[in-house]
Amino acid sequence: MPSKTTTAETARASAEPGTLALVCVAAWLVPGAGHLYLGRRQKATVFFVALVLLFGLGLLLEGRIFPFELSEPLVGLAAIADLGLGLPWMVARLAGAGAGTVTAVTYEYGNTFLIVAGLLNYLVVLDAFDVAMGRK
Amino acid sequence: MSPWGANDPRRRSFRRGAALVTSHLALLAVFALLVSAVFAALMRDEPREQIRTGGLMFGGFLGVAIVLSWLLYPLPL
Repeated sequence: MPSKTTTAETARASAEPGTLALVCVAAWLVPGAGHLYLGRRQKATVFFVALVLLFGLGLLLEGRIFPFELSEPLVGLAAIADLGLGLPWMVARLAGAGAGTVTAVTYEYGNTFLIVAGLLNYLVVLDAFDVAMGRK
Repeated sequence: MSPWGANDPRRRSFRRGAALVTSHLALLAVFALLVSAVFAALMRDEPREQIRTGGLMFGGFLGVAIVLSWLLYPLPL
């Protein structure tokens, strides 16, 4: 069937190391960009809207973007989780957002939103990798 | 009616900056909705299946949270 051939060809082309790296970096930088590159627009839209909203709400709820403090293992792990959102994370760091207000009632909610947004984007990157490899 | 003014820090719902929803259930529902949407899109390819899976997951999140909150309610804090 023509559509199957096209899908197989797309998967083969995407499985080249350079393309794989591009898909993964794009997926990490902008949530859903990897899926968009692979032609999965609907999924890309869901990932972009949901993850950017989750991250934005985390900042509005006065959550903290954790620094890379290796002396504090939990802070370091939270920083790695936050980093998962790529470009929004960079923009927030450069804009000085995400300082976190420990006394705010919503502080822990904000942290949860920020950390989960980053972790979910790692899953989205892995999914984009699988799609590019032709496994899905 | 709160005895404190809207801008009084002693007021339970006092928030600096942007006024936000601070209800635990509302924040839980928003969180559950967004996380369910991402997981449904990751796990299913067909939009109908995604809606079904996402709906079930969202209901599960809320249901488990409400049941757990009632189970924990009698515990002294």
